[in-house]
Amino acid sequence: MSYLMDVLRNPDGYFAVTPLSCTCAVFATMFFVLTMIYSFKHMKGVKGLWKYYTYLVLTYVATLGVLFSTTFMVLMVLWGFIGFMLYLLIGFGRGDGTPDAAGKALAIIGGTDVLLLLGIVLIWSIRYDGGTGLEGLFRLPIGNLGIKLNSTGAVIAYLCLASAAFAKAGAMPFHTWLPETARNAPVPVTAFLPASLDKILGIYFLAKVTLEVFVMNQAMNTVLMALGSITIMAAVMMALVQHDFKKLLGYHAVSQVGYMVLGIGTGNPVGIAGALFHMFNNTIYKTGLFMAGGEVERVTGTSDLSKLGGLAKKMPLVFAAFLVCSLSISGVPPFNGFASKWMLYHGILESGGRLWAVWLVAAMLGSALTLASFMKLVHAIFLGQPSELSEKAMRKIGKINFSTMIPLAVLSFLCIVLGILAWKIPFDDYFRPEIGPGFAMPGIWHSGIVAVVMILGFLAGYLVYMAGTLKNAREVAPFVGGETLEDHPDMRVSGVEFYRTIKNLGFLKSMYSLAEKQFFDLYEVLQKTARAFGIILSFMHNGVLSRYFLWFLAGLVVLCVVLV
Amino acid sequence: MINEGMIPLFVAVPLAGAFLAALFKRLGWIPDLLGVLASLFSFCLSLHFILDTAPGASFAVNVGGWGSFPEVMGKVVGIRLVLDGFTVFMLAIVNFVALWVSIYAVGYMKRYTGRWQFYTLFLLMLAGMNGVLITGDMFNMYVFIEIASIASYALVAFGVGKRELEASFKYAVMGGMASLLILLAVVFLYASTGTLNMGDMREILSGTHYSGLVYLVFGLLLTGFGLKAALVPFHAWLPDAHPSAPAPISAMLSGVLIKALGVYTIARIFFDVFGFPHQVSIILLVLAAISMGVGALVALRQWDMKRLLAYSSISQVGYIMLGFGIGTPLGVMGALFHLFNHSMFKSLLFLASGAVEYSTGTRNMKEMGGLNRKMPVTGGTALAGAMSLAGIPPFAGFWSKLVIIVAAVQAHHMKLAAWAALMSIITIVYVFRITRYAFLGELKEKLAGIKEVPLLMRVSLIILALACILGGLVLLPQVRKMFLSPAVRVLIGMGGV
Repeated sequence: MSYLMDVLRNPDGYFAVTPLSCTCAVFATMFFVLTMIYSFKHMKGVKGLWKYYTYLVLTYVATLGVLFSTTFMVLMVLWGFIGFMLYLLIGFGRGDGTPDAAGKALAIIGGTDVLLLLGIVLIWSIRYDGGTGLEGLFRLPIGNLGIKLNSTGAVIAYLCLASAAFAKAGAMPFHTWLPETARNAPVPVTAFLPASLDKILGIYFLAKVTLEVFVMNQAMNTVLMALGSITIMAAVMMALVQHDFKKLLGYHAVSQVGYMVLGIGTGNPVGIAGALFHMFNNTIYKTGLFMAGGEVERVTGTSDLSKLGGLAKKMPLVFAAFLVCSLSISGVPPFNGFASKWMLYHGILESGGRLWAVWLVAAMLGSALTLASFMKLVHAIFLGQPSELSEKAMRKIGKINFSTMIPLAVLSFLCIVLGILAWKIPFDDYFRPEIGPGFAMPGIWHSGIVAVVMILGFLAGYLVYMAGTLKNAREVAPFVGGETLEDHPDMRVSGVEFYRTIKNLGFLKSMYSLAEKQFFDLYEVLQKTARAFGIILSFMHNGVLSRYFLWFLAGLVVLCVVLV
Repeated sequence: MINEGMIPLFVAVPLAGAFLAALFKRLGWIPDLLGVLASLFSFCLSLHFILDTAPGASFAVNVGGWGSFPEVMGKVVGIRLVLDGFTVFMLAIVNFVALWVSIYAVGYMKRYTGRWQFYTLFLLMLAGMNGVLITGDMFNMYVFIEIASIASYALVAFGVGKRELEASFKYAVMGGMASLLILLAVVFLYASTGTLNMGDMREILSGTHYSGLVYLVFGLLLTGFGLKAALVPFHAWLPDAHPSAPAPISAMLSGVLIKALGVYTIARIFFDVFGFPHQVSIILLVLAAISMGVGALVALRQWDMKRLLAYSSISQVGYIMLGFGIGTPLGVMGALFHLFNHSMFKSLLFLASGAVEYSTGTRNMKEMGGLNRKMPVTGGTALAGAMSLAGIPPFAGFWSKLVIIVAAVQAHHMKLAAWAALMSIITIVYVFRITRYAFLGELKEKLAGIKEVPLLMRVSLIILALACILGGLVLLPQVRKMFLSPAVRVLIGMGGV
């Protein structure tokens, strides 16, 4: 088996370029460059920086390898390697929870890698019945296998491959590493892997497997759509009640994956194009959000919402970028998040089936809740009265920090431009082979015209405002119960508890308390189950020789009886 | 230039080293030097056999010239030493690990008194293992097993503390029982075939219907060797014995001893002599599945670093046995490959745990933390070993687990493949406990003054870590043709993988 040599000598057989992988690679490159720029300032003073940058470069190269690979084995090895790099990169975090977050990420991603391997082997077994030997497995191509989901083995194989994609992208039920990582890893790492590259990889792989390797049926599509809808709703509900903005953003990173899974589950070109477009949009605004949030954390030294507030005055540019990205993730027109969600809604409508209304409601409600949660976030960080901590931090803020602002500017710009130009993008060119030719942007939404109208509207409003101000407006200090707010810092209104009522609603209350006990965390559940077995087994290992001897004899007797 | 007369040197040189070490015990560093030199020689010799012979060539030498005589119908009466692809494969692994362990021990054993005793026992154990590997004679195999086992009982008790003595006692009782069963089996075999030579035995047994006595022998041998290999339910001595020994010996015990005395012997006798009967295959699969599960689940709960590794050994031997139990060329290849990888990463991890104990004075992971900052080499190499154990690509362990799972699916053992995959996930979780609690996180105040271990220990760690990182290259055709495939071919006639 001249496998490795063969890969090196004959890359054509193992790597190929498709329009979609090319598009993904362009985005990956962009995020790589932006993360590098962002890291200059943000990672200053961390020990072992050369290692950090080496890991980043290796991750990037491996990502390109995954995107262009045409055989399962190359993909799987690089895929696992990226998971390992993520583990090492999280290790650069400085919080108390960092080791556990790294371990959780490694266990979930590494564990699903094993499932990925199992799935690949199953496909190979279904397709060739093991007849091609190890060589055949190593050359098993991704695509054009046309495996029908009509046997248990095929269904299990699909679920195995999908779970690997879900874990990478952070969809439920393999999402639990993501919020922890977002909270504990250094911000550039979160922005680079969970927010952008892992999303691209996971959804790219899911699309490839779903559309090229397997022939989907209605049942499996429904499963995907259900998982997507649950992910959207559950994660956004969790996001609503978070106190740490990094963790909050982490839950949104999970929630948004739900849209992509939902879109791929629709099985029609519009939905799939919407899912892929949403994936790219999501990487843009989510990276932007993490980077802006990271800048806030760098300046103030905390990511706890209750300690922040009023930063907009001194960080207007960061605020602007954060706002653009927030509106974009909430699906407010004309930003890019709306364009892709619009396509997704159409995909759901076209998907047919009895449950389309449920998916549509989940998607739209999720979008509304996202907006609600970002209202809280924007208010708590940037608006309202400055907290003590942000007062202190704002005094220190000096020049514009270019290593942060360049990435933020690029990303916000993309949020707007992609949103306005969405109806001009030839998706069938960029997303082949997943989207065939003859794809047309659905509906009567013309983002360009709408954008112009909206800008005109804003201008008109501004003019009215100016006109009104000039004539008869007067400015007063905020008035709260007869006291001047600035004199009473303890009366500050923070956005942290905006949605506490939701947490205390009957049914949701019990769900939240279960979630707090990590009842829905597959990793914790599995670990606890395994521990329980472990307790029983270690109770049996009590160190008494006579008991061990009994086992030995029993084993001997059983073996002899069975054999003779 | 290959000389068949060199084969006995695998036993003779370590044996001579053992007695010379005892003789020169008063000359401070001589025993250390002898330990390193003897294992270096054995390793070079096995390399020589791998590199300078045609792949798959087999050599035999009759000790004392006692070959076959017409009076006994051409049967071999003396002890015949045989060296084929499988033997050479095992010899290379055993002596490679022994070499780096002995170099590590030069640094590590400074704290102990009576180092000459350590080296004497160490070399006796090595001689015993090499003897088991090269012998072609049933009774002789038993003798070498006893040499290696008894040396290891003594080495487990080397620290002469309460726990060490208890562990050694349990190990000796259980091991003694196993040896007894093996001896009994050899006796029965001799009674039913009239020969002790493995090659002759195979010829006499082939083509005949196995009698009940032979099946009884299967049971006895599986139990006896199963105990040496620490298969559940014969494993109970291992979690006590392996952690109690000094770290270099733990590395030898878990890394190679259980394989030379247990796994190798099972493979050699059941594949080579008995032609791998179907019942044995099923028994091996069942035992392997139980071992994988029990070892991994109990390892999840350990706080003693070496004890965790010991339970993990039980689980990993289960993987190796799974490969053998499948019995297809791919399965056997996976088993041998995993055996190789397990030797590397498990001895590395035991040596790393020894390094941690050397610096911090504890094995309890609750008392550690943040050691990466003070001991970067130990931390880095332990990470490599741990990732190889966890089967994260592209580390070596991934490739061998891959081959085993592929073999299981190919042989339509779907449930076993799924079970192996599930246990592999559990493995990641317990492996992470080591890196998490020992090496990551904040440094404890108590440990602020610790230092990295001496140079010789670091060298061993680094070399073994390289083996864990690059071990996957064994699958490359050039290396495989020379190293792995001949061993597979000995066990499974075709070996065309």
